[in-house]
Amino acid sequence: MAVSAHVSDLIKPGIAAFIAAALAYPAPAHAAGPRGVMSLNVCTDQLVLSLAEPADIVSLSELSVDPTLSFMAGEAASYPKNAGLAEEVLAARPSVVVTGTYSLHNTTALLSGLGTRVEEFPYQQSIDTIPADIRRMGTILGKEDEAEALARDFEAELATARADLGGVHPRAIVFGPNGVVAGAGTLQHTVLEAAGFRNLAAERGMTGMAPYPLELLVADRPDLVLLSAPMTDAPALADRIARHPAIAASGAALPSGAIPAGSWDCGGPFTLEALRALRSIRDGLLAEDQPSK
Amino acid sequence: MISRLNIILAASVLILAALSLLVGPAALGPGESLSAIFSSDGGTAALIMREIRLPRALLGVLIGASLGLSGAALQGFLRNPLAEPGIIGVSSSASLGAVLVFYSGLAGASLLALPAGALVGALAAMLALIGFSRGNTATLTLILAGVALSSLAGALTSLALNLSPNPFASYEIIFWLLGSLKDRSMEHVWIALPLMLAGWIMIAVSARALDALSFGEEAAASLGVDVGRARLLVVGGVALSVGAATAVAGAIGFVGLVVPHLVRPFTDRMPGGLLLPSALGGAALLTAADIAARLIRPAGELNVGVVTALIGAPFFLWLVAHSRREVQS
Repeated sequence: MAVSAHVSDLIKPGIAAFIAAALAYPAPAHAAGPRGVMSLNVCTDQLVLSLAEPADIVSLSELSVDPTLSFMAGEAASYPKNAGLAEEVLAARPSVVVTGTYSLHNTTALLSGLGTRVEEFPYQQSIDTIPADIRRMGTILGKEDEAEALARDFEAELATARADLGGVHPRAIVFGPNGVVAGAGTLQHTVLEAAGFRNLAAERGMTGMAPYPLELLVADRPDLVLLSAPMTDAPALADRIARHPAIAASGAALPSGAIPAGSWDCGGPFTLEALRALRSIRDGLLAEDQPSK
Repeated sequence: MISRLNIILAASVLILAALSLLVGPAALGPGESLSAIFSSDGGTAALIMREIRLPRALLGVLIGASLGLSGAALQGFLRNPLAEPGIIGVSSSASLGAVLVFYSGLAGASLLALPAGALVGALAAMLALIGFSRGNTATLTLILAGVALSSLAGALTSLALNLSPNPFASYEIIFWLLGSLKDRSMEHVWIALPLMLAGWIMIAVSARALDALSFGEEAAASLGVDVGRARLLVVGGVALSVGAATAVAGAIGFVGLVVPHLVRPFTDRMPGGLLLPSALGGAALLTAADIAARLIRPAGELNVGVVTALIGAPFFLWLVAHSRREVQS
């Protein structure tokens, strides 16, 4: 949702970067391994950044440098950016385009029709699918060994976290702008569970991103409410709900900025940062007192 | 007669406000809900009642009263049965003012910026319309000017929200154009209440002048009424009441139109005597509409302006047809 809402941002940085990208990569005609990857989606951007040689990156999406969505915004800064337009791809002629299944269907179809190799990654749904996505990106980029190592580290840390859950599972809720929460079937849900929390929104039967009435938030008494930071400095009423006095008065823990920005909006090696942050919050909650359930 | 009407209306406001306190997604029993308002134990029920439902019920009453009162004052002052803050563009101009001040980030993200912007917007609209209506006494001329003003303010509100770099701003167009009382807090009550009270007092003080003005400005002046002062009171009072209401709940239409017509048959039909019943009736109508907005679709509630428009727009059409017949006959 947030990703598609950022279209107005795509206009900003100017055409220079696109021209530079086009000039720098005139139709790589390498036979040995793919050279030149172009990513059109903020999630594939970060998998590319985790694995590709810098010289192989033709361009990343505009959102790759948005620090609220992209954990690797800093690393992305030095690369050319694209607005996800088919024209940009045809001008840059990368040997492979990577994107998400949720973004830019028309562009993807057009490019495939014109003979460009397009690899689509499914919208990230689970912490358990991340290692497979890392491996797949490694294969696309010819970086199988590096990908295998990253994926194994990920699996090992995830397994350790799960083995160490104990019996007490505090109840948490991810409460975003406008009171929209992450229900079952979201990446956040699986990270919460892997960190030893119960996701209140999922227990209330919510799937995907769904509005959660403020009254129920107070009535359900979660142990932890994760409020998202505003996406920009520009004010919106959507961000006001996090400041409603009823939330502060409910007695739930409200750690601000506890989950590193962008670490669980997309799945990637960095999603472990969200897992670590949640585990340390949970340790703090359990040490503080015995949560209600 | 009038006082009995006011007692009945006041009782319905109380009953509807109590019902409003009982409506919400959290399953609380009626007794538990109402006693929790007076409890300060910080329990779940107390928290929900005092921090979520009470401000909502209070704002429904206060904003409804402001809109009903403003509608009655405008209909009396302009001698125009179709005048109403929503229709003549005062509400949407207030929305525009609030939007410009809040979303530009001029005042940080502070809520206090909202009433300031809304007051300026409402005042500008009132002054423009009063200026326009002098010399244009035809009923529909003023309404047409108001419709144009209302469309312009609505379009500029949409434009301002679309231009905001915050991706959520454009979704808030519907709040500013159709209004909602969802998830308000006591903070909203405290920033709106003083301004509304000031507006109510200004309009109440103008009551006698409104009565005299029903015979025309010259007749009123010959009765010793200071028409300029009355104009100042009505313009300022409506701008304060509607500006404060719109700042915390968005533009809610038609309450000020429907209510004075509904209560007028039970009064002496003088504009001054219509003020209090219209305020009480507005409070009752908006509270009822807000209850309906929550009950019709509990999962994702309606904007309350949708409900008032569903009631008010057909009523408005009927009034237009009715007043045209009167003019022709």
